[in-house]
Amino acid sequence: MSQRKSYAVGTGLFIVLGFAALGYLATQTSSVANRHHGATYTVDAKFENIGQLKERAPVKIAGVRVGEVASIALAKGAPVADVKLAIDKRYADIPVDSVATVFTSGLLGDQYVGIEYGHARQYIADGGKLGLTRSSQPLEEMLGKFFGAGGGADAIGGSYDVTARFSNVGTLSAGSPVKMAGVAIGRVLSVQAEPGKLDALVTLAIDNRYNQIPDDSSAAVFTSGLIGSQYVAIQPGGSPDMLKNGDEMILTQSAMQLEDLIGKFLVNGSGSGDKKDSGSSATPAGKH
Amino acid sequence: MNARVDDNVVSRSLAQIGECGLFLLKVLAAIPRSGRYARETVRQLWFVGAMSLTIIMTCGLFVGMVLGLQLYHVLSIFGGTAATGTVVALSIYRELGPVVTALLFAGRAGTAVTAEIGLMRATDQIAAMELMAVDPLAYVAAPRFLAGLIAMPLLCCVFCALGIFGGHLVGVSWLGIDNGTFWSNMTDTVEVWQDIVNGVIWKSLAFGAVVALIAVFQGYTAPPTSEGVAYATTRTVVASSIAILALDFVLTAFLM
Amino acid sequence: MNAAASPDDTLIRIRGLTTVLNGKKVFDALDLDIPRGKITAIMGPSGTGKTTLLKHITGQMHGDAGQIAVDGKNVPELSREALYGLREKIGYLFQNSALLTDFDVFENVAFPLRQHTRLPEVLIRNIVLTKLQAVGLRGAARLMPSELSGGMARRVALARAIVFDPMLILYDEPFVGLDPIALNQVLKLIRTLNETLGITSVLVAHELSAIQRVADRICLIANGKIVAEGDPHGIENDGSPWTRQFFGGEADGPVPFQYPAGDYAEALGFPRAKA
Ligand SMILES: Nc1ncnc2c1ncn2[C@@H]1O[C@H](COP(=O)(O)OP(=O)(O)O)[C@@H](O)[C@H]1O
Ligand SMILES: [Mg+2]
Repeated sequence: MSQRKSYAVGTGLFIVLGFAALGYLATQTSSVANRHHGATYTVDAKFENIGQLKERAPVKIAGVRVGEVASIALAKGAPVADVKLAIDKRYADIPVDSVATVFTSGLLGDQYVGIEYGHARQYIADGGKLGLTRSSQPLEEMLGKFFGAGGGADAIGGSYDVTARFSNVGTLSAGSPVKMAGVAIGRVLSVQAEPGKLDALVTLAIDNRYNQIPDDSSAAVFTSGLIGSQYVAIQPGGSPDMLKNGDEMILTQSAMQLEDLIGKFLVNGSGSGDKKDSGSSATPAGKH
Repeated sequence: MNARVDDNVVSRSLAQIGECGLFLLKVLAAIPRSGRYARETVRQLWFVGAMSLTIIMTCGLFVGMVLGLQLYHVLSIFGGTAATGTVVALSIYRELGPVVTALLFAGRAGTAVTAEIGLMRATDQIAAMELMAVDPLAYVAAPRFLAGLIAMPLLCCVFCALGIFGGHLVGVSWLGIDNGTFWSNMTDTVEVWQDIVNGVIWKSLAFGAVVALIAVFQGYTAPPTSEGVAYATTRTVVASSIAILALDFVLTAFLM
Repeated sequence: MNAAASPDDTLIRIRGLTTVLNGKKVFDALDLDIPRGKITAIMGPSGTGKTTLLKHITGQMHGDAGQIAVDGKNVPELSREALYGLREKIGYLFQNSALLTDFDVFENVAFPLRQHTRLPEVLIRNIVLTKLQAVGLRGAARLMPSELSGGMARRVALARAIVFDPMLILYDEPFVGLDPIALNQVLKLIRTLNETLGITSVLVAHELSAIQRVADRICLIANGKIVAEGDPHGIENDGSPWTRQFFGGEADGPVPFQYPAGDYAEALGFPRAKA
């Protein structure tokens, strides 16, 4: 009898372990982990081309996830995609003249909707519209690797916290490395959108060993490789005073969107000689 | 000469598949009757499931570690080591988890079931049950089949969890991929429905059914001699492995 | 057909049973009546189909032709449920015990009770220990089958066969491997079961002296037929060539000692002697 009971208990433990593993896989390693189940409000946006954008793709402001794509449909009477965005109620103060853009995270990554704040004093309401949109830009070109990757730092001797504001953090997330001269010296503690402000507040935890960083140093969001993750690079300044716990870094450089980079590359590449050419080719088109 | 032998092998395999299919119908018909032997199903779940945990967990850990190591080096060529967590998770969920778990399950639990039933036949235990008016299909076959069906998805989940842990151990703790990057990239890409329900649950349920059916069938039809039982055990591993990989292809084509 | 015997007197009635296995005619229009409430011994050279006959009676095997009526029901035509219902009333002692190796002695004997009844644990315990006491193995209740000798395993199997107090018990070679003391006990047990509970017994065995102490009748089976039957003490000397050869243990006679084979000299490669 006792023999039989021990089977039952062991088998019960086995089943519980199996379901616990399933629960872990489903909630901790999948996109469920990213989803807020808080209240949301819906905003409409119309795009001429949404590229690979899918339902439940993230909606980001300054690189911080604020919601997801609720539905995608073809608008009535026009070849335009009607995209409904479900945005977290915590971020209720998006100016009505903000611009929604379909971006690609990394070169091979999924697409997401990025919202850039406008300047209006009025905030968008539930069921409101984002009038200004920019469509997805198909990427045909592969670019080389610009920046070397490196390992993260392990904070052994404790760390001190410094903040920095960026207008766009790209895909930077809590845990991303902080590097100086390519060497990891700390990690990103948190990335928060500041409701009502136009930028992302990033808190950096820097290892105590690196306490000789001038307080006029600048922080930039860089990407390791084309498809790699993003990190914060610190370029030392010349001030005699050093950064302390709780300081804010004033000089920052935001993450470049890949579209922006490619745009710059194409513009620079076409050079001054081609500028006239493109201008002249555009003008006749208008004259015809 | 050769052609005749081939013909024999082919027709014999076909006959086996046909018999196996008929046997499946008999087992399915016996499942309602096996309700009163629920305790026996629990006992079998202990033997095929809980007793397989050690090997499943060990192998899951090592598979995850090897994946972490390999992928890190391949991805570093493209400067994409940040994607290590994603690729480890996806390859384990979609392929390695269900397939490796099923192969291990066939080797660990399938052979044990075949040998046990074969020996029960050879020592007249099956006949004794029939004579005690206990239906061996309901008392012996159905509980083992059900136990296999239930145990496989659970084992597969445990395997996957240990695999992710192994990948994390190598990628983050040893090779220095950033912890946040490892997880955030993974959680951005892995979809519950596509990867975990379709990849892990459905596949492993199907594999569990196939392995359990083959194991029970081979034991049930083994000639009642030590040689017969030995051959049946071997056939369980061979037939299960082929069936798992073939079915994997079909399921991947349909589910993905 | 024995029209005189009413169905009440005859528990098992076999008519014209014909079975071919591997091209060999194991039963050739065999007729047999087993009387109710009696102990019938079936004897015969090994390989003549005694075990096969018991398997036909319990519906584990089916013949190619003929009828087997047990308690008025024709076994080959019974549905699965009806057959299982009938089997609940039959105890069967296997030639090789066939204990369930997963369970200890106690659970083996308790197995039929647990499967077919919802008796309280105390009652199951009492029944099982009574039956084990009867075969002299109450002390071995917690041993596993692998820890038993052949004779002990056979006695456990016997306890299991009688745990339900069936109407019919089929014993397949129950005396093999028993020491004289255990043999005596088992013989007494078979006799007691028959006398106190009126259980019909069919006994397949080779030990004539043992059979003579318990059996009411002996049937001799050879070449697929019942070749002799009668009183256990008189059958040896009934004058038929079958009984003379079998009980006398002679190699020559109507029962071939050799399994059917080709010419011996030819098989050994000797040139054939010309006639
Ligand atoms: N399942 C079977 N398939 C083919 N032949 C069998 C089978 N069972 C028994 N036989 C044959 O039937 C004959 C009788 O066997 P059996 O009843 O075991 O003899 P015994 O009288 O010694 O108990 C033997 O010649 C055996 O070869
Ligand atoms: Mg026999």
